Amino acid sequence: MSFFGFPPSVLLGVGGAAFAATIGLYILKLRRRPVAVPFSPIWQRVLKDKDASQLYSRLKNLLSLLLQLALLTLLVLALGDPRPTALAKKGETTVVLVDTSASMQAADVLPSRLAQAKAKVHELASGLGGSDRMLVAKMDASTVPVTTMTGEAAELNDGVDRLVATDTRVDLRRALAFSADVLHGAENPQIVVVSDGALDTDGAGKDLGNVPVRFIPIGKRGRNVAITGFSVRRYPLDASRYEVMLEVTNTDAAPENIELTLLGDGNVVDVSRLSLKPKERLPRFYTDLGGASQKLEARIRLADGTKDDLGADDRAYALMPERRRARVQVVTHGNTYLDAALLLDEYLDVATVAPAAYDSAGAFDLTIFDGVAPQAPEHGGALYLNPPESGSPVKLGRVLSDFGFDSWDKHSPLLRFMAVDNIQISHGHALIPDKDDHVVGASEQGPIVVAGRRDGHPYVVTGFDPRDSDLVLRVAWPLFVLNVIHSFVEEDATYLSAFRTGEVWQIPAPSDDAVVWIKDPAGARHEVAVKEGRATFFGEHAGFYELEGSGKAAATLFAANLVDPDESQITPMKDLQIGGEHAAPVAGFHIGIRRDVWVYLVAVVLLLSVLEWLGYHRRITV
Amino acid sequence: MLDFLRKSRPSTPPRAPRTTTALFDDDFQKKLETLAIVSRRVFAGRMRAERRSKKKGSGVEFADHRDYVAGDDFRFVDWNVYQRFGRLLVRLYEEEEDLGIYFIVDCSASMGFGSGRKFDQARRLAAALAYVGLANLDRVAVIGVNDEVVAQIPSTRGKARIFTLFQFLEKLEANGTTNLGDALGTVVAQHKRRGLAVLLSDLYDPAGFERGINVLRYNKFEPYVVHVVDPADARPDLRGDVHVYDCETGDEREVTVTDSLLDRMEAAYRDYLADVERFCAKNQVPYFPAGVDVPFDELVLRVFRRGGFLR
Repeated sequence: MSFFGFPPSVLLGVGGAAFAATIGLYILKLRRRPVAVPFSPIWQRVLKDKDASQLYSRLKNLLSLLLQLALLTLLVLALGDPRPTALAKKGETTVVLVDTSASMQAADVLPSRLAQAKAKVHELASGLGGSDRMLVAKMDASTVPVTTMTGEAAELNDGVDRLVATDTRVDLRRALAFSADVLHGAENPQIVVVSDGALDTDGAGKDLGNVPVRFIPIGKRGRNVAITGFSVRRYPLDASRYEVMLEVTNTDAAPENIELTLLGDGNVVDVSRLSLKPKERLPRFYTDLGGASQKLEARIRLADGTKDDLGADDRAYALMPERRRARVQVVTHGNTYLDAALLLDEYLDVATVAPAAYDSAGAFDLTIFDGVAPQAPEHGGALYLNPPESGSPVKLGRVLSDFGFDSWDKHSPLLRFMAVDNIQISHGHALIPDKDDHVVGASEQGPIVVAGRRDGHPYVVTGFDPRDSDLVLRVAWPLFVLNVIHSFVEEDATYLSAFRTGEVWQIPAPSDDAVVWIKDPAGARHEVAVKEGRATFFGEHAGFYELEGSGKAAATLFAANLVDPDESQITPMKDLQIGGEHAAPVAGFHIGIRRDVWVYLVAVVLLLSVLEWLGYHRRITV
Repeated sequence: MLDFLRKSRPSTPPRAPRTTTALFDDDFQKKLETLAIVSRRVFAGRMRAERRSKKKGSGVEFADHRDYVAGDDFRFVDWNVYQRFGRLLVRLYEEEEDLGIYFIVDCSASMGFGSGRKFDQARRLAAALAYVGLANLDRVAVIGVNDEVVAQIPSTRGKARIFTLFQFLEKLEANGTTNLGDALGTVVAQHKRRGLAVLLSDLYDPAGFERGINVLRYNKFEPYVVHVVDPADARPDLRGDVHVYDCETGDEREVTVTDSLLDRMEAAYRDYLADVERFCAKNQVPYFPAGVDVPFDELVLRVFRRGGFLR
């Protein structure tokens, strides 16, 4: 037995002083409360018998003194923090990563996998030794510590109790990197991963060095059917109609029959039954839908009325982009092809002006400069078609002839639905973009379509006149014009699609606000800073969100979904491999048994005190 | 001319001269009159017959009037009053040889112990019994004793004297030690006329309760023991280490009070009561325990039913 608290010399001093004080107080005569009685002879008659047991009373008083001295001895020993010499080693430093991803909401173990994980971590905390330290962190798309590095079981348990599951997937690489940083230089470091094993281990654990990783598996089975894709789009040339794409996946090894329900603003739009083969991913399209529904929601449930193990992926959300009339100003000497393209969208208010009559102060969402480049507009974006050198937001390079699109940004919304690979252009100019500009399309001789921002206003420039190409004869021409318009209108935060949980969202926000508020599906409000017209927010939960600016404008809605086939694979893993090595099971924690002897000493003191109280104050023994 | 009528309104008790006290308040006085009526109704046959036979040829001195009730002897109806006022009143006469009633109230400190409930109960009982006695034309004396005679009111009769008794009892204080033997020896020496001696006491006499009662017995008095009992004396509200001392003698003792000790204490107290009752029964002394929690009028009625007090 070794003492890790006060040294024995101090303990002897403290113990001696306490013993002396106790014995001194014992020697002092007890001052009894004087009480008058009406007739003492009756008391004498009773107390005559009492005198016979006087010796016994003295013995009991002596026992009381011995009990007090025993209590003092135990307390003084507790101050010394005694421990078995066999356990007198340096403590372990442990980072516990608790999986809080969507799969941990599975209810194959009741009440949930996360609850089972919490119970496991509680056991770890109760098994900590006196010099052991532990930190608990939640592990999903982000890694956030919920406790400090501490040996206090109460603080650890409080932190564990605060853990909640999110609708995200685990970023194991980030979590292990965080753990490696925390354990850098620590004694006897180790990492404990408490998870169901649905982890992407590629590239994880490179920075761990010799830090061992231990694994506590959670979960029992993995019967699950999930919505792994859900999106909606309006038809480009008939924005009053829309189309829904939905994908369901059976992650189980057994076939499942499900009931799929599509709701618009809470009302059922369609109900259908589907049969899914084992491991089947089944896409399903709802085409040519109409109506004024704004909030779309898809739900699935098992046809036999039972529930699968994970409910978080049984719902998906989408928001129908709200339509409003876009205000477009065309500054031109006359362009029949442009007029024709703008006639295709009934939601456009088009104003055509001659260059001499152009007023930059007009309130338009988009101004199209056709071969001219007077002063830039004060509001909205601008589309420059073959601008002159003076007034163009992008410098013009050398003259080009007989060229086309040799490369282009396939993900750019400006070229959405377009085929540009064989467009023939007779002549034009190469563009010289600034550093922050984005080249949307280019020929071998230089950029020919560039997008960017000037003074906070977006613009798109083409280095050629469409009429000098066969573009105006193709379907791609009106699509390009409408894509540009929709892109600029979308930047006014009225055309939002669903975000994916567990990612950082760049949400279009009113340009005039420095701060906006985002209300999550649970109703909590988050203050978010706005930079360059975008609010940056890390979303963890699926559902509908609201973005509110400081102005009187109505709140902007947007949706977020899990839709992650990997996360919906909830079959628990019994083994975890990181860097090709198996994570060992947890060892070193004598779960439920504290290695601090002083705790037991204090417990004995409390027990003896209770017995003494019952025996003396409750007059059981005297 | 009608003064004698005003003095003897038989159906209502005399009104208090000035103010009533907490001990003998209006409610108390109303109950007294009820008790007086009940005592006549319940014990009328036996009591009046005995007294009348005794008074034949000897009781001639007019004492008072009272309302006529069925069964009264017509010969004692005062027809003069009936002629003048239309009321049937019966003339009452003093006895020439009456025994008298002595109410001996224990005024020791133990009677006033705690909230003094025993002392209050003893004084109320003394007042009530004395009123009944006065109402029946008995000669009544009240004597306060501890280890000596501390105060007394001479033998008197007639209901009009009740307020004198009230004031006397009101002024009594409970202090001093108990020595019933010496005190009652003084009483019997001072009162040559023998009679009923009602002892109202808790009988906490260090020299023994028997001595005082025997003094009465040996001197031809007829003792009647009203034992005033407070249950709190049997099981005091005490716990823990205390230093107990006798409120009269100052005898002290250190003791640790426990449940078992209180149980033994209660048993010892019961034994003490049993000793008193056994002694009284053995010596044919009427014994009556009077708990402080029992209303005094109920106690008085119990006394009547027990008999011996009224003849």
